[in-house]
Amino acid sequence: MARDIDRRNFLKAAGGAAVTTSMTAGCLSGILGEGDNDGGEGGTLTYGRGAPSDTLDPQSSTSGEVAKVTNQVYEPLIGFEPGTATLAESLATNWEMDGTTATIELREGAEFHNGDEFTAEDFIATYRRYLDEDYDYYNEDGSIYGPYLLGSVEDVTAEDDYTLTFEISKRYAPFMANLAVFALVVLPKSEIEAETDFATEMVGTGPFELDNLNEGSGQVRLTANDSYWGDGPNVDEVVFQVIGENSTRASSLNAGELDIIDGLDSQTVGQVEEGDGEVRRIAGMNVGYLAMNGAEFEPFQDKRVRQAMNYAIDTEALANNIYQGIATPASQPITESILGYNEDLDPYPHDPDQAQSLLEEAGYGDGFDLEIAAFQNPRAYNPSPTQAAETISSYLEDIGINVTIEQQTWESYLEYTGTGKHDACFLGWMTDNGDPDNFYYALLHPQIDVPEDQDFADWDADGYNTSNRAAWANNEFMELIEEGQTTYDDGEREELYQQAGEIFHEECPWVPLVHTEEIRGVSSDINNYVVELIGGPFLAQVQLN
Amino acid sequence: MISKRYIVKRLLLLIPVLLGVATLVFSILQLSPGNPARVIAGERASEAAVREIERRLGLNDPIWVQYGRFLWDLLHLDLGESYVYRRGQPVAGLLRWKFPITMELAVFGQLAGILFGIPIGIISAVKQDSLTDHLSRFGALTGISVPIFWSGPLLILLFSVTLGWFPTSTRIGSEYTAPQVTGLLTVDTLLLGQYEAFISAVHHLFLPSLVIGVYSMALISRMMRSSMLEVIRKDYIRTARAKGQGAKITLMKHGFRNALIPVVTVIGIQFGSLLGGAVLTETVFAIPGVGKLLVTVIQDGDYPVVQGIVLVFAVVFTLVNLLVDLTYSYLDPRIEQ
Repeated sequence: MARDIDRRNFLKAAGGAAVTTSMTAGCLSGILGEGDNDGGEGGTLTYGRGAPSDTLDPQSSTSGEVAKVTNQVYEPLIGFEPGTATLAESLATNWEMDGTTATIELREGAEFHNGDEFTAEDFIATYRRYLDEDYDYYNEDGSIYGPYLLGSVEDVTAEDDYTLTFEISKRYAPFMANLAVFALVVLPKSEIEAETDFATEMVGTGPFELDNLNEGSGQVRLTANDSYWGDGPNVDEVVFQVIGENSTRASSLNAGELDIIDGLDSQTVGQVEEGDGEVRRIAGMNVGYLAMNGAEFEPFQDKRVRQAMNYAIDTEALANNIYQGIATPASQPITESILGYNEDLDPYPHDPDQAQSLLEEAGYGDGFDLEIAAFQNPRAYNPSPTQAAETISSYLEDIGINVTIEQQTWESYLEYTGTGKHDACFLGWMTDNGDPDNFYYALLHPQIDVPEDQDFADWDADGYNTSNRAAWANNEFMELIEEGQTTYDDGEREELYQQAGEIFHEECPWVPLVHTEEIRGVSSDINNYVVELIGGPFLAQVQLN
Repeated sequence: MISKRYIVKRLLLLIPVLLGVATLVFSILQLSPGNPARVIAGERASEAAVREIERRLGLNDPIWVQYGRFLWDLLHLDLGESYVYRRGQPVAGLLRWKFPITMELAVFGQLAGILFGIPIGIISAVKQDSLTDHLSRFGALTGISVPIFWSGPLLILLFSVTLGWFPTSTRIGSEYTAPQVTGLLTVDTLLLGQYEAFISAVHHLFLPSLVIGVYSMALISRMMRSSMLEVIRKDYIRTARAKGQGAKITLMKHGFRNALIPVVTVIGIQFGSLLGGAVLTETVFAIPGVGKLLVTVIQDGDYPVVQGIVLVFAVVFTLVNLLVDLTYSYLDPRIEQ
């Protein structure tokens, strides 16, 4: 097809194309830009997040992304007060621990989305699906949370339709807090025994029910559960949108396409602040740290070397420059809002001279070679892992320690540090249940016996807790933590953990780096949204203007 | 003419190609450090739990056993099961809905590249060294040089946040539940008669297609220009002009078609890199296609999905190349198949 193309005609055509394009765009945004919801007065709440849910089955994942959706549809026996780690009623209305027996009274009148009434039998079926290999409907893909949270349960029985009794193997104070973890939400017995595919279908008692899961986009659409037993929900629909790139997610909030976004870093906080949205931030229940592996690296068996490391690293500057103000320096593993936080402890001051003299005392005046393992991809407790590693190595080089950074992908990193090959490594922890035991026992107790005179555990010993990446095994500390686990009085527990914090601070198995804030971007149309500390979000109370 | 025998021969050649690709990707994943079982188990897992997962997935079998199993499954067109997604979702099922999303983006991007690249290239060649030529060459150079991770956010800032003309990201407005028939949103919405959703889908596709298409357009226009310049100096063009044929007819009838052969090659090869570019574009615009998925599964150590995606890309790339070869003989019947 021959056409007469000269410059004038081309320019005419190009101009026309440009006008058409902009007109089309204008018209399209006219048609689509209003964003009116025909659902009713409640409207559609859109929540933007960085990754999709791998599954909708709360028992098959430890991922927070899974919890974001399942929390709206399912409920645990015990929940958290919004924005705190305080336990609150959910499907249970009362609970008590007596020795190794836990008794829980259940809510009457709560109904599953399929119309079944919630009773104690539902919890028992839920429990058996997770942990009882002899159960016909046992979930072979159950996540580690099953044994991790309920491993101490020897028997669970229904006294009647609304009373549950647990027998546990030993006194265990965090038991109730464990029940509040998202993975232990209650599934209906009828659906379990009908072998419903919980990976793609959700039937819970929560404020929202599943409307649609898009296989391609990972978009999840929930609709209000009109027969919800509690307050709310106040919106007709919740849509979870996946937008991986932080800056794009912030732009979408600014453009009014999203109502709430999470996963903000220091740069995107600025982006949201420039728009109409609001940035909400609260101190998180997490810690980022550098673990010093005494089992692998001999100099770290000397307390003075570990203290020198703490003096050498300027955590204040790290929080301000690398975390850009979205974190505070840490003095101990747990945070202020957790039971047993020791207010008397301060982060080690930045004192290279003191660090140098401690090294000299320990016989390492000339320094030593140290390999620090670091991961490549940002994580919530360490948004710029490469920069953090480089900054820290420059601090250490100031006191004569010659650092090589061994940087790996997350997958390789977990294997490398999980098998104890590191001299020192970066890691972090976000609490599962807001209990101090979830930091101290999980991360610093070897969970095997270690001789009194030995400060380090053998990494390859059977049953060793590899989450203790420092291989630290201080018997005095271990006794306190074990006592904390079996003490039911909060006042006594608090003291025990404060003492444990002191030992940690003195002995320095880690350099505790920072506690990172929980940050959300929220559009100005949103009311009643509370930034959650654990798991979350909980959207039943949220209103749209 | 294109013989059936030739096509069959070329399709059969796919087998060794895929075997090579499969072996390569399998080896690379095996050689890379790390242990998928640990990622699956999560940070909280005990050593025993990690070993149990290794056992269940057969990760501690000898490599040749794993390789044999992989090839055997592949022979049955079974791409295996994901380690991460739903703990064992078949890879084929996962790609079933992800792949059309990427294809749609690549096709729209390529269309944009062809529709703009070819005319610009021709005009540039005909008006060699004019202002138009300089402008279009400058534009092409810019298009090639500007990385997607820079142009993408910039376009979002201008057209979405500031002007509000286009949505920032995703494939369709959150008010629509995307239908799932073929997986191609623009097609599905039309098939089901959801015209508003169709408009939304096209509206959402505009910026990402532009971003991914600019690179294509730049390459195509450059290739079109140089190829055209070469052709219009050929004797047969002079002959055509000498016997009195008009300049434009000569250009389009004799010049264009002959100049198109190298351009078609570029378009074919370019389609492969569009699939690569989709990784970045999908990341920036939050388009949930295989490109974005590939990044995630590499990080997670979800080997079966990585293998699946690479194999599917290889198949598509090979088929597009076959198509390109077939196009040659259509454009120039002297090229015997």
